[in-house]
Amino acid sequence: MRLSGYQINMKKEAQLFKSLADETRLKMLWLLMGREELCVCDIMGVLGTTQSKASRHLRYLYHLGWVTDRREGVWMNYRLSVAPGSPEDKQLKLLAEILSSRPEAQALRDRLEQWLAAKGQSKDGAAACQCS
Amino acid sequence: MRAEARFFKSLSDETRLKILWLLSGTEELCVCDVIDVLGITQSKASRHLRYLYHLGWVTDRRDGLWMNYRLSVTPGSPGEKLLKLLEEMLAPQPEAQVLRGHLERCLEAKRDSKCAKRLDASRKGLPQRLPET
Repeated sequence: MRLSGYQINMKKEAQLFKSLADETRLKMLWLLMGREELCVCDIMGVLGTTQSKASRHLRYLYHLGWVTDRREGVWMNYRLSVAPGSPEDKQLKLLAEILSSRPEAQALRDRLEQWLAAKGQSKDGAAACQCS
Repeated sequence: MRAEARFFKSLSDETRLKILWLLSGTEELCVCDVIDVLGITQSKASRHLRYLYHLGWVTDRRDGLWMNYRLSVTPGSPGEKLLKLLEEMLAPQPEAQVLRGHLERCLEAKRDSKCAKRLDASRKGLPQRLPET
């Protein structure tokens, strides 16, 4: 018996896994999991990436439906976009479990806290992330 | 997090995703099962299975001319959680269920032993024993 499983379309799922197949994107999702909302400048500050790289990856995540955006002045803010109890919510929880076992995951969260604390101390965060 | 990214990359190919999905629903599969269910060539099936083997997703067992593969994840490992994530993502998809149905039908048909016949046929071409000198 020869069946034609190759015709069954699972491209979307493969695409979804591809969105997780990049270290920077995994880190971004991990950071977003720990916070309600993050500015592109926060991601840049914590991961030490350029604005173009951060924005590119965040747009990628946006187009796949992992995050939603909110504009604030010249900066974009991103947050995870999953309804509680939805399959995506469960997926993200499992992803969080997988990532949290890495030592660098905790270090990243610590850096985020430090970054946000520094940002809070400077005048409405403007100096720390040049959000003016 | 490079290791995790690499794991996800192994799932970012449609064929590999399907193969892992099939393996997660059964104990062990012969390369010929994968060929029959997905309707792909032997070289493509074997190539992807070797890829999964080298990443530690599966282990192999030779049975005559054919290789058999099974999932190899230790309980509690990140790999096991990734597999759970895979299940979580694919199980609600109707396509994934169709694929499992294909596998069922294929394994049933195999009880009339297409794989075994094919194996016999390929063995016929080979000397059963080396001629004694």
